Amino acid sequence: MRRLLWVMTLAAVFTAMAFPPTIADARIKLAALPARERVEIQLDNGAYTLVEEERIIPLLKSSSKTGNNVIDFSWSNTSIDKDSIQFRPLAFRAGKDWQPIGKGQGKVAINVINVAYPPGENSLVWEVYAAQAGVVKVRVSYLIHNLTRTFNYRALANKDESVLTLRSFIKLRNYSGEEFGEAGVWAGFGPKFLKQVGQQEEIQMLVKSFPQVPIVKTFSFDWYTNGQLNPDKPFASPIPMHYELTNNEKNQLGAFPLQPGKVRIFIEDGRGGQAFLGEDVSRLTPLDDKMRLYLGQSRDIVCSRTVLKNQRHVVRGNLHHQEITLKYEIENFRDKPATLDIVEQLNRVAVEYAGNPHGDVEWVLGESTTKGLKISYEKGKATPILHVGLDARPKDPDAKVEKKVVLFHFTLKNIW
Amino acid sequence: MNNRLILVCACVLLSSQIARAQNVDLATLPNRDTVQLTIYNSEDITLAKETRSITLKKGMNRLQFSWAGTLIDPTSVQFRPLEHADQIEVADTVFLGQKPQHLIWNVQSEFEGQALVEVSYFTSGLTWQMDYVAVSNPEETQMKFRGYVRVSNNSGEEYKNAEIRLIVGKINLVEKIADLARRDGKQPPKPATARFEDLRQRAALKSFSLAEGASAGPAKEGKKVVKEGVGEYFMFSVDGTETVPNGWSKRMQAVTADDVEFDIVYRMRAYQYGPRPVRFIKWPNDKEHKLGDSPLPNGVVRVFRENGSEGLSYLGNQVLRYVPIQAPVEVNLGVDDLVVYDQRKTSTSRSDFQFNRHSQVTGWDERQGWVHTLRNYRSKPIQVELRLQWAGDVEVTAESEASSFDVDNDDDQALRVPTTTTSFDYRTIAVELMVPVRGKTEYVLSSVIHHGANAKQNRVRLLKTQ
Repeated sequence: MRRLLWVMTLAAVFTAMAFPPTIADARIKLAALPARERVEIQLDNGAYTLVEEERIIPLLKSSSKTGNNVIDFSWSNTSIDKDSIQFRPLAFRAGKDWQPIGKGQGKVAINVINVAYPPGENSLVWEVYAAQAGVVKVRVSYLIHNLTRTFNYRALANKDESVLTLRSFIKLRNYSGEEFGEAGVWAGFGPKFLKQVGQQEEIQMLVKSFPQVPIVKTFSFDWYTNGQLNPDKPFASPIPMHYELTNNEKNQLGAFPLQPGKVRIFIEDGRGGQAFLGEDVSRLTPLDDKMRLYLGQSRDIVCSRTVLKNQRHVVRGNLHHQEITLKYEIENFRDKPATLDIVEQLNRVAVEYAGNPHGDVEWVLGESTTKGLKISYEKGKATPILHVGLDARPKDPDAKVEKKVVLFHFTLKNIW
Repeated sequence: MNNRLILVCACVLLSSQIARAQNVDLATLPNRDTVQLTIYNSEDITLAKETRSITLKKGMNRLQFSWAGTLIDPTSVQFRPLEHADQIEVADTVFLGQKPQHLIWNVQSEFEGQALVEVSYFTSGLTWQMDYVAVSNPEETQMKFRGYVRVSNNSGEEYKNAEIRLIVGKINLVEKIADLARRDGKQPPKPATARFEDLRQRAALKSFSLAEGASAGPAKEGKKVVKEGVGEYFMFSVDGTETVPNGWSKRMQAVTADDVEFDIVYRMRAYQYGPRPVRFIKWPNDKEHKLGDSPLPNGVVRVFRENGSEGLSYLGNQVLRYVPIQAPVEVNLGVDDLVVYDQRKTSTSRSDFQFNRHSQVTGWDERQGWVHTLRNYRSKPIQVELRLQWAGDVEVTAESEASSFDVDNDDDQALRVPTTTTSFDYRTIAVELMVPVRGKTEYVLSSVIHHGANAKQNRVRLLKTQ
């Protein structure tokens, strides 16, 4: 149901009304209702939705006898920001051609004189001057509520989890109270869609499909974030898994920042089918940033952590250094190799074993750390990550899975 | 009743019975000749001045003025003869107890005949506000800037063919006019919604036509709004006259400027705008930018961009606070997904420990290294104003050059760009950085924070850059 109503009332009728008529007289009026020629729904601003509608309206030449044209724009059961409404004449039809609007030779003067807002109504009235009688193409733009967008994604990983196809969708939700008919829809990036947008409809559109996106499957261990696995394994902790994608052209993405939204993750099952791996809500991923998709917990990698050494070295009074060695025992029961990322929050370690770190704790790596262990960390930030390579489980079913032992030796400095 | 303000010239026969309560009157009702409305936007107050021609006899004349259903402050009503002023004098003013919204002027006149008089009063319910629309070109270098005044009439009175003047500035009032108007217990008038329901378009055209005048022909362009300074205030006068029926609003174009050049700047101030850079457009309110003939009063500015196919994109809005002539106009368009900010701590160490007599640590210095990185994925280089704030006793050493890289090429040679870091205030430093197209710029600094007994001040001291 169309609730936006245009009344292009002929000026001559209103000129007669300039002389106060009776109420009964005022009901006799002749009005043209110009249809929408085109509607554009602009969703590029996440907080506001701009609707632009194009109409062809007949205007009478303004004269002292007929007065100016009066255009009434009203709406009901829909929430339009009244102050945002713009009326823009675009072109004047001269035969088959369109003439520009404006001042000067070859242009036709069409001016909005003022806007009047009636009391207690969702409507406004434009007074429009026209230098010539004829047909004018105009655009009316307004911000509307409850016509919103959301984004969602569908990721399909290949069987060996090396690449995936990421499909980015936009969903237009029209609870504005207005039926727009066939409308152009643009998210600010990607293609422009032409869709029938009905009242209380949700339309999902594919913005872009990114095939062959390289992924890194990560396994991580973070004692202080994930805590104990279960009472039977008091030193083990859950191992969350993620797919990591980089939003740049090198990694077959990079067309636009990936907006926040739900991601449903599937995997090819190798028999032409797909299995559902889970879903996650991704955050805004700017260009060149990483999107991390949580896949759940791995049951096939087990890591337990024990504190092997905890020794205080007094500097003076209550000022001391704390020497700590952490031992990790890791088993990989998967049939594929993997890398386990062990995150150590040294500020939390300091609080538990040494004292108040007074900000990011100062630390140095100790000599007893397992040789060849790859550690990545930002200096100054007390959250090093240990990257431990794990072999696949032995192919021989009778062979025992190797338990890999890693030592992380460090000294927390200047604690009190 | 359309016109609730009534000036009654009581007949001569009644004039000797001064201020007596009478329920049977014979009166003539002189029409308004002119109306001038001076509307203030800082307070709900309008100075209304109307002129009427009345006929006086020699001796005492009794004039009744009534304002039923309006929001007029009774204490503000003034009577002033504009003709024969030396022969006409108000002897007294009587407020009738049994008729709350009436008063009687007893006018002593040495003149007999028709005289022009002015009646002025304060009323509430008439308001005005500005709003602005800026439409940028697709390249985001120039814009069309429009300012509109919107006059709303909820005063209970219809002012026909009124000369409208709008005052920009903040005045002082001891009492609200609406409170004074309601002091007699009358409720404020409601807009005549039902009455106008069927007559909306008629009334609209009526107001247009009346404003234009029968012989002048239709307006070809929006009315000019003349702007002039009045003391510390600024006055916008709408050319000609306007009719604003009770309950209606009317919006007129007051500021017009095409091809206004503007700058885009990004601001990264976590303490003020949050963790992401925000995008501003800014330009001065001056002649060079086709503006500057008046201050820009408070109002919402809505910013659009032409999308190149006759359509618009909505960039954002902001309440614009009063902008004096030649002052900058700045509009915050919010965060931009194509500009990314990141800060990394590169070192932490503690030293210079102080101990009390029990050898407990009482003071220390904390040294931190930081790299602030900005990435730009827009098609133009961008300027970023970075401000960083600390609490406590802090010394900051900033590098005198920033490094710019190509985001697509990790091996790219850094471009060293001189930068100047300044102290914005006692706890904030500021630096301006340019970020090339698809580039990233790194800005490096280090800080020493004095803690505990080592903290002697509460300020950030910017040391000579390295």
